[in-house]
Amino acid sequence: MTNPISGLPPALVPGEGKTTGPREWGFVETLRGAIDQAEQLQGEAESKVSGLLQGNGIDVHSAMIAVEKADLSFQLMMQVRNKIVAAYQEISRMQF
Amino acid sequence: MNLFGMLEISGSGMTAERQRAQVVVSNMANAQTTHTPEGGPYKRQLVVFRAQRQPQFPVIMLASGGARSGGAESVRVQQVVADKKPPLLRYEPGNPDADTKGYVAYPNIDPVEEMTDLLGAVRAYELNASAVQAAKSMIQQSLDILK
Amino acid sequence: MPRSMIDSPELQALSRFLDVSASRTELITSNLANIDTPGYRTRDINFRQELERASGDGEFAYADFAPAVREVRGLASRPDGNNVSLEREGLLLAETQLRFQVGVQVLQAEYHRIVSAIKEGGS
Repeated sequence: MTNPISGLPPALVPGEGKTTGPREWGFVETLRGAIDQAEQLQGEAESKVSGLLQGNGIDVHSAMIAVEKADLSFQLMMQVRNKIVAAYQEISRMQF
Repeated sequence: MNLFGMLEISGSGMTAERQRAQVVVSNMANAQTTHTPEGGPYKRQLVVFRAQRQPQFPVIMLASGGARSGGAESVRVQQVVADKKPPLLRYEPGNPDADTKGYVAYPNIDPVEEMTDLLGAVRAYELNASAVQAAKSMIQQSLDILK
Repeated sequence: MPRSMIDSPELQALSRFLDVSASRTELITSNLANIDTPGYRTRDINFRQELERASGDGEFAYADFAPAVREVRGLASRPDGNNVSLEREGLLLAETQLRFQVGVQVLQAEYHRIVSAIKEGGS
């Protein structure tokens, strides 16, 4: 997964610049959680699909559900990221 | 189990019933055979079905589950045996296969019984074919989850 | 917060429903394959009970989904000990297949709803 949070200012990148000032909104946690979830569900989907293909006793529907969940969480993560970027840009426009 | 396992089980049922049908047809065709290369009349054949546990597929230890264990068994024809019933004796002194007393040994085959058996095999075969269709449609629907 | 939307109790219940239905189908398949096996006893699961089984630690549910397989009572046996009923298995197969289909469709609808919710920025 390429860095999906490029475009965010350093202060908002989870894990970086944590101590450079007050935590801005609750968005950082939300985004971090969304990224973690997306990564985890992605890994599970891959695992289940390969299990299915290898005949390891994984149901087709089980693998499909895992793929759908991974997809949804990714979409969610992107939305959260977009919102944060938009909000930041709006605020920075106000700072003259 | 699941996808491959289910189809394998139904497949085993179809194979077994087909073998059963073959034996029945052979019986019917040889109902009047009084002389075989081994000597003596044709002996009625029977199939012995036996259930078989499925080998366990390796289980993927995911917290999210999705793998499951057995409980389902396939079937196979363990052996084809000869019926132990004694042959039918008919008094036919003119028959080259008659014994010293003029009796000819016929296979103890009842055409009605064989036909019933055959119908049973056909029906069971069809049932297993339905199960294959059911599995196929469930797989198709599972793929539709992503639509 | 985002997690509960994608992994809500409703979705977990639906997923479990599909698992239980698939499990049942396996056993029906086994019963049908062994309809002429001497001594074979019809087996099944308790559908309702399996549905209600607790979801484990709640997040990704049951680590060990192995349904309790049991012998079905009250079926007539033939002389060789086999008690598989053609009618019962045929009916159950059709019914279970249908349930599975309904489950998939409800799941699909739920996913579409979530996608809409995400797209409209409601998180």
